[in-house]
Amino acid sequence: MSTTNVIGKSITRPDAYDKVTGGKKYPVNYTLPGMLHMKILRSPYPHAKILSIDTSEAEKLKGVRAVLTPDEVPKKYFTPVYFVPYNAPSMVQDFILLSDTVRWAGQPVVAVAASSEDIAEQALELIDVEYEELPTVFDPEEAMKDGAPQLHEASPNNIAKNPSFEFGDMEAGFEDADHIFEGVYETQRAHTCYMEPRVCVADSDTDGRITIHSSMQHTFGLREKLAVALDIPESMVNVVKPTYIGGGFGGKLDIGFIEGLAALLSLKTGKPVRAEHSRGEDFISTTRNPIKVYLKTGVKKDGTYTARQIKSILDCGAHATHGSEVIMVHGLYGTFFPWKCPNQIWEGFTVYTNNMIGGGYRGYGAPQGCFAVESQNDEICETLDLDPIEFRLKNTHREGDPHPVLEGHKLASYKIEECLRQGAERIGFDKRQAAGSAEGVKKKGIGFAVHPLWVSGCVGFPDIYEHSGATVKLNRDGTADVISACVDLGSGQISMLTAVVAEELSLSADKVRIVYADTDTAPFDAPTHASRATYSAGLATKAAAVETKKRLFKAAAAVMEANADDLVLEDGKVMVKGVPESAVPMTDIIARAESPFIQVGEQGPAPTTIAEKGTIIGTASQAPPSNPSPVGAQFIEVEVDTDTGEIEVLRVVYSADVGQVIHPNSAEGQVEGGFQQGMGYALMENLQFDQETGACLSADFLDYKIPTAMEMPSNIESIFIDSHEPTGPYGGKSMSEMCLIVPAAAIANAVYNAIGVRITELPITPEKVLKALGKL
Amino acid sequence: MALTSVQSFYSPEDSKAVIELLDKHEDSALIVAGGTFLHGLVSRGLLSGIEALINIQKLGLNKIDISSDAINIGATTLLGQLKNCPEVKEQAWLGAIKDAMEYPPTQIMNSGTVGGSISSSCPFFDFPVSLLALDGNVQAEGSSGSRDIPLEEFFAGLFENSLGSNEFVTGVRIPVPAGSTTSAFIKMETNANDLAIINVAVCLSMSGTGDCEQARVFLGGGVGESPVRSPSAESALVGTKVDEEAIEKAGEAVLNDLDPLSDHRASAEYRKAMGKVLLKRALASAMQRLS
Repeated sequence: MSTTNVIGKSITRPDAYDKVTGGKKYPVNYTLPGMLHMKILRSPYPHAKILSIDTSEAEKLKGVRAVLTPDEVPKKYFTPVYFVPYNAPSMVQDFILLSDTVRWAGQPVVAVAASSEDIAEQALELIDVEYEELPTVFDPEEAMKDGAPQLHEASPNNIAKNPSFEFGDMEAGFEDADHIFEGVYETQRAHTCYMEPRVCVADSDTDGRITIHSSMQHTFGLREKLAVALDIPESMVNVVKPTYIGGGFGGKLDIGFIEGLAALLSLKTGKPVRAEHSRGEDFISTTRNPIKVYLKTGVKKDGTYTARQIKSILDCGAHATHGSEVIMVHGLYGTFFPWKCPNQIWEGFTVYTNNMIGGGYRGYGAPQGCFAVESQNDEICETLDLDPIEFRLKNTHREGDPHPVLEGHKLASYKIEECLRQGAERIGFDKRQAAGSAEGVKKKGIGFAVHPLWVSGCVGFPDIYEHSGATVKLNRDGTADVISACVDLGSGQISMLTAVVAEELSLSADKVRIVYADTDTAPFDAPTHASRATYSAGLATKAAAVETKKRLFKAAAAVMEANADDLVLEDGKVMVKGVPESAVPMTDIIARAESPFIQVGEQGPAPTTIAEKGTIIGTASQAPPSNPSPVGAQFIEVEVDTDTGEIEVLRVVYSADVGQVIHPNSAEGQVEGGFQQGMGYALMENLQFDQETGACLSADFLDYKIPTAMEMPSNIESIFIDSHEPTGPYGGKSMSEMCLIVPAAAIANAVYNAIGVRITELPITPEKVLKALGKL
Repeated sequence: MALTSVQSFYSPEDSKAVIELLDKHEDSALIVAGGTFLHGLVSRGLLSGIEALINIQKLGLNKIDISSDAINIGATTLLGQLKNCPEVKEQAWLGAIKDAMEYPPTQIMNSGTVGGSISSSCPFFDFPVSLLALDGNVQAEGSSGSRDIPLEEFFAGLFENSLGSNEFVTGVRIPVPAGSTTSAFIKMETNANDLAIINVAVCLSMSGTGDCEQARVFLGGGVGESPVRSPSAESALVGTKVDEEAIEKAGEAVLNDLDPLSDHRASAEYRKAMGKVLLKRALASAMQRLS
């Protein structure tokens, strides 16, 4: 787009000032008069049967208003994941708000509502629960064995899901290979570490209707799942969209426990009930699923793949929730289809254990897959002395190729070669030293990783909601109000939607407001997840703005006595195309449209026309037309201290094809934030549990380490390849998750280049490095 | 988890009032200043019996006095103030403190205090280990008056110290060493908000001919319930020029005095290996400082 008004120009983020001055619109700051506070009693055991619960002493405590035990909760089993129907056949319906069987340490057992948080907390200590401990299993491969403790009756050998894909002839493929590489790659539990905790305020009307405010990623998903959990019709729940939330990253993509329990306690007491997780509770509420990948690859001498055999074992913990879908995305988009190979087989296992429940986390199975595949690709190139850039290009798709997963779609914008070549050039990849050849105690190394296939939403996936909608309304003062259920997680959805509407309606960005929305009044929108908001919500909002413009032209045509088809909108003025002197300010048209039918002027009463009357408003609700793939490659320079094993990231170059960049500053922010999470995943983050008691060893950020500004490299360079996605809003597609899919693999490869030793288990801690170097 | 048991928050303006409050509340009172460690203790359930918080920031203890024989640092002196103290910045013998002040992030520098760092009696802290190497004293006040407690005698286990029931820390005193003295400190951490996986402080007093007359070597982090001293490393250094060979020997020797713990942050084996590496680096850094 050569003549854009605001697209590609980094408008001032409308939410920025409010956030840096306290962020009063974060859900964590929402209160209602007279509200009660909820606290949850959690199981100390990882696997147990609840024999009895005595809450009588707690109920006697002054200030305690209600107690909720498993008996009082609807016995509804469902899928709590927001983006699929609660009973989606491709998912597993094993989730319930409160159960009389405990399957992980920290599972909610009883909820208490009291007049203050302190009283609610004191009440928990007065509740007496009698448990019968059951045998436990924490390792998914142990859990799959015959005779292992069983978590759910419906899933023999604890296998919740066992999908697979296959094509070609595996035997012939491996026979055709000159070399066969085999490896096992393991990843850990990582928390998204959103800044704002999971928090909600649920309020009930006298007719039993629930209104809820919550820090979550999907208004309509919460409406559906809350209604199911409470066993009431969906229309009995209204979810108010938060103006913004303090981060989600996929970690607030399922209903969890607090909303349902708070709503039930609100119904029981008639009062609003607020619930807020402590950081320790957040840590045991959602996590990136650990996946162990067994990878066997056959290649010709020149590096061409001949066969790939992949087995992935995902530890979903006590309930399947996201684990049923993460394994599919990991298989399809994380390991299998990104790469071109004539003979492939993949089998995935989602396995129950007595660990905490897994969840969504940006990349959704792909960071685990990319770490495995790109580590092994690096190994193949090292062993066979192949150019690693050419190797990737040999085994990946090209622009214009058919989409490898979605029949009938093409890789219409797909600049993988430019990503690799420009990134390599920027970091000076051709000058990198041979692996492990650096002199001295501190050794520098350069590595990279590419992820060749990802999504702009979920078109093509079974059971996943995808449509979006918006309403755009023009006001007499020349401003536009946008009603959209798309939640801003902090990644810039407000500015993206603002830019799209401003662009379409020829307004400056400060004239566009994203206004109040709730599930009663806004059109449906799928969650802010799967890197879909720009592509899907952006397109729907653009379509709504187009409808608004049509309505504007209809009114203008009457006022200007012109044909609506001949009208254009430029610089806030409606004019007949090619006739600048016909221009009328759009505010005049809006004012006339909203004015009384007969206007009294100096010459007396003057009737206007019916055709120009009525609010200038447009609505659209639509599914996106495609699912274009972004591409991202990351080149990294590290320095490894070979006496301590410590790794410092010195420099990062990220090159990506995201289509037309809508908001360059936000795009760079995505690259940097994604790298920070990816670097934490690569080097330090790990939710650890006591393997006897199942208790989480991380209560807060003293124990769970993420990179701070001090560890971040000062030099993170973003290269956005010139690209235009023909189906996207103004040529845009997605970018968010890709920024986090590649860093761990790229860092692992850079560490290998520095020290000549490969670590195949994340996180790459100093201790693992030292062991690999034979110094421990 | 909130500090549900706390009923009172006091901000007394003199020591007498502090002592009275400590007498009144006995074991259920906790002295606070910057409060930076409070959250970590609360979320681990370690302050469940605390009913009163006594803020000592109005006692006028926020000062650094420098005389020819000692540096006196008031208990509520911020770590950031200590970092910016010209003597700490410039004097080789205070190098261990200068180094220790390089690690905390800005938020901690601007609210954490010298007194809190000491009286928390947490073996994972940095400043106490550097102060041990410099042979510092803790100044305490109680109903029986003021007294100096050598820091080595102050720590008595995890979160335990030798303060009497109504005593509190008013400051620390570091004697100015005679002759040519240098010191250094190194910490191993995962990120800038981390407690030490292991840390090391050394202080070396050198004769006019360049021989080491006295060496003090202390290690903290996951090495025990309190920071530990390494007499073996010290003996390997005294009488040498602290050259490469002596440093290597001290590195080997420190292993005799280390019996660290294994936890989810690092194994004992790794901590031990790092004790050696960090000690050697700290010694080289101290000697570099002298030249």
